[in-house]
Amino acid sequence: MRRLGRCTWAILHKDLLMEWRSKERLNPMVVFVLLVLLIFNFSFELGGAALHEIGPGVLWSAFVFASLLGLNRTFAAETINDCLDGLLLAPGDRAALYVGKMLGNLVFLLVTQLASLPFFALFFNLSLGAYLAPLLAVLLLGSMGLAAVGTLFAAIASNMRLQELLLPLLFLPMVIAPLIFCVEATALVLKGSPFEKIYPYLQLLGAYDLVFITLAFILFEYVVEE
Amino acid sequence: MKAARPKAAAVVLEQVCKRFGDTTALTPIDLSVLPGQFVLLAGSNGAGKSTLLRLLAGLTRPSGGRVRVLGGDPVRQAPVRGRIGLLAHQTLLYDDLTAQENLLFYAQLYELPQRASIVDQALDEAGLSRRRQHRVRTFSRGMKQRLALARATLHNPPLLLLDEPFTGLDTSAVEALTQRLQGLKRQGSTCLLVTHRLDTALPLMDRLVVVKRGRACYDAAWPGGDLAQLQATCQQHMDEAP
Repeated sequence: MRRLGRCTWAILHKDLLMEWRSKERLNPMVVFVLLVLLIFNFSFELGGAALHEIGPGVLWSAFVFASLLGLNRTFAAETINDCLDGLLLAPGDRAALYVGKMLGNLVFLLVTQLASLPFFALFFNLSLGAYLAPLLAVLLLGSMGLAAVGTLFAAIASNMRLQELLLPLLFLPMVIAPLIFCVEATALVLKGSPFEKIYPYLQLLGAYDLVFITLAFILFEYVVEE
Repeated sequence: MKAARPKAAAVVLEQVCKRFGDTTALTPIDLSVLPGQFVLLAGSNGAGKSTLLRLLAGLTRPSGGRVRVLGGDPVRQAPVRGRIGLLAHQTLLYDDLTAQENLLFYAQLYELPQRASIVDQALDEAGLSRRRQHRVRTFSRGMKQRLALARATLHNPPLLLLDEPFTGLDTSAVEALTQRLQGLKRQGSTCLLVTHRLDTALPLMDRLVVVKRGRACYDAAWPGGDLAQLQATCQQHMDEAP
């Protein structure tokens, strides 16, 4: 278990370092979310009642499609110079590669969300202070689900031609359920509902995350093999 | 008086075959390599040499037969993979990391103790100390190849798998790489070398295996001889009807 942790950290650290230098995932993800929010802001008058109707849906749709931009690049660095072979040759558990990549995707998604929340508040006339704690819980659990499923499918698609087309086709149907939970929970948060009403959605998101992280952890070795 | 126990083979392939869909890359092949042997795998393009090395490295499973490397299964037993060094067609290096960061990353994956000093020594041996902080994308082909060999041998593996290590190198880089391989041979590393540069393999090899259409059609200890003899032996077996 310790070895898994150390290998996971090595992979995560390497990915974060490379992203810090290239910004090839974060920049497009953040810009995409901001553009979606901006477009919807001009398309609808998003103050008042419209906020609760479409605000959470707009926000989470932007996050899901932005996550695809990042997920498509998950294994890009590993395919150049066949670096994936170097990782598979290493004596550690190959699941460390999944966990490291999944955590990297989670970090990128959370950074994108945190960077875009102030703009969401600005465009939608919100004061986020009151909603921040429950909203962060929804963002964390929702993002974990997207990263867990997305990383597995990114690994499958990375070996194929037309991976940019294949990944959305595999990924989007699998994240409909957590997307519904996230939109419902976010709507409740923005309405100022009590935590007891939000909690069941957090439980559902937690269960989804647990199931898919476990499944991906077991299946990943077979996915990355030739 | 007890008879000396024969040395356990470092590599054993028993009736190993590999298919990719309808394409057969390796027909049932048997091979046994003793520790310390330096084997040249010769053969024309598409003969199955690289597939053979990938099987030995545990990067792919055989479609049939059994692969044993250093006493274990390289696919299922992670510690076995940790004792293999692979220098592949590609460098397995990250272009956006520096030479030092690349080696430190692999040292972390292999859980090497005193990583910093091991990496410093490897960079010294590769002649890249002064470029340690430079990103790999700024390196020449020869420098990348030297760094790739440093990566492959960082954990001091008892088994080395080298796939066309001399590709794209100039004369001085070939000479430096040959010297490095001679040093590894003196240390007792077992090595399987795939190369079309027979002149560079000649001073290193002590056994020749010619692979043709996924089958080992010639396998014998190399008694020594000049380049012309080696070329003639390889050509003769590559040209023979199956």
